[in-house]
Amino acid sequence: MKLIWKLLRRHVSIGQFVGFFFANLLGMLIVLLSLQFYEDIIPALSGEDGVMKNTYIIISKHIAAISGIKGEAQTFSDADICELETQSFTRRVGVFTASQYQVYGSLSMGGTGMGTDMFFESVPDAFVDVKWPAHLPADEVPIILPRSYLVLYNFGFAQTKNLPRLSEGVVSMIAMDIRLRGEGGVERLLKGRVVGFSTRLNTVLVPESFMLESNKELAPHAKAKPTRLIVEVANPADDAIASYIQAKGYELEDNSLDAGRATYFLKIVAAIVMAVGLLISALSFYILMLSIYLLVQKNADKLQNLRLIGYSPARVSLPYQLLTVGMNALVLVLALVLVFWIRGHYLERLWQMFPTLQEGSTSMTILLGVALFVLVSFFNIIAIRRKIATL
Amino acid sequence: MERGKLYLIEAASGTGKSSLCSYLIGYRRDYQGKICFDNRDISAFRTSEWTTLRQHSLSHVFQELRLFPELTAWENVQIKNQLTRHKSDAEITSWFEVLGIADKRDAQLALMSFGQQQRVAMIRALCQPFDFLLADEPVSHLDDDNSRVMGELMLAEARRQGAAVVVTSIGHHMDLPYDKVFKL
Repeated sequence: MKLIWKLLRRHVSIGQFVGFFFANLLGMLIVLLSLQFYEDIIPALSGEDGVMKNTYIIISKHIAAISGIKGEAQTFSDADICELETQSFTRRVGVFTASQYQVYGSLSMGGTGMGTDMFFESVPDAFVDVKWPAHLPADEVPIILPRSYLVLYNFGFAQTKNLPRLSEGVVSMIAMDIRLRGEGGVERLLKGRVVGFSTRLNTVLVPESFMLESNKELAPHAKAKPTRLIVEVANPADDAIASYIQAKGYELEDNSLDAGRATYFLKIVAAIVMAVGLLISALSFYILMLSIYLLVQKNADKLQNLRLIGYSPARVSLPYQLLTVGMNALVLVLALVLVFWIRGHYLERLWQMFPTLQEGSTSMTILLGVALFVLVSFFNIIAIRRKIATL
Repeated sequence: MERGKLYLIEAASGTGKSSLCSYLIGYRRDYQGKICFDNRDISAFRTSEWTTLRQHSLSHVFQELRLFPELTAWENVQIKNQLTRHKSDAEITSWFEVLGIADKRDAQLALMSFGQQQRVAMIRALCQPFDFLLADEPVSHLDDDNSRVMGELMLAEARRQGAAVVVTSIGHHMDLPYDKVFKL
């Protein structure tokens, strides 16, 4: 082997191999770094402590002008719900149940009173972000209002009408008179007490148990059809959610899928950067193959003589194969060292922005690096063997 | 041609002696007709079969020698013997001595005369097991004494292995008891 190498190392061009080395290193570095950065930044977008903590989305059907006029029910069928439940991003689905009877709420303060028609809705208790009080008198119903209502009153209505602003605490102390009127004029009088404000649920919410019981009592023949669904998702940054919603023509209540779009965008950017890296890797592979072909051509006489005295193509290919595989291995190790070095720097920056950020896994990067190394080396080995066999 | 025999192919230069050797060693295929080893057409041999044949059955002293000028005389022989592991260093050294090039053992081949290189090529060809030894004008640049010594050495090794020797010549050839002489 020593003698063979002594013979075949003639005409090895250091310049060409250095060129290949750095081109391959650059390509490998870009590929691995883009993957590692992607792995590290994804938790910042989607993790528990990430920017998007909201793991609930509220879905309704799109209301088109025509269907609204025609009065088509924009309700979800059981099949719709079943399908949604089977999606990979879904953890559980809750149904908004609306009151099937009339609700009239009134408030009297110091002799003056005001009242309004209203409605109730409920969702399963597990989806509510405010705790229902454990014990309330039988004639009182707890109500949760959207936080935005209070904001609307305080900064819109109260401001312009010179009315006092109300804190959450004050509102909770006011008891409303609620009158429910069901089928056949059946009425029920209750006290309503605001027990909290929800940022998640944009409706006048009552406990699910109360809703079921009152619907049964006041509207035993009406069938409640859900118009809105609340879905707890495993990862709101999952871009599959946005695709599904779009494909089904559903609508989302808020911007809870921004993270999904950001993730999608990040995926595209990472893919483009990775493609550039792969392109550079491919070009460097091409440089290497040209250098090797040139080397083989320059040493063709020696290789041919070795073959004629009984050396197999495999054996005379070995020095060049070891040379290229050795260089590829060196590139891999150096690229990984550089990736982890650069990663150390950008993680510091990320931690300043997201102090509780969990760093992503490095195994995918190492795996991809090794896979690239194996793939490139495999093609090198085959190409050299074939070239030498043609002599 | 059979094992154990000694053949001489005599012909003027340019009549195809070296071409015949190239066909027999599997280097060239531009011939018409059929060459068979043990009734097998050699044109169907695969690369791996040729490699095995060149290691174990066919040895060749090339007319153009096909040695490596970058290596020393000793290394040129070793590059073959390391592949076949057929001869001991002592045996090879003794051949260098018999052929009168012991002092050139570590000399770079490029600095040796063609006659000296012919002797290195012969030693290299003997460092392997063979059924046939093709010696293409092996003594073209040797004087009669050296030619006789090399002939004896070659024949002794061939007899020991029970192998055949095919020598080509343009007239100046080793004086050996040939079983058959082909004149082209």
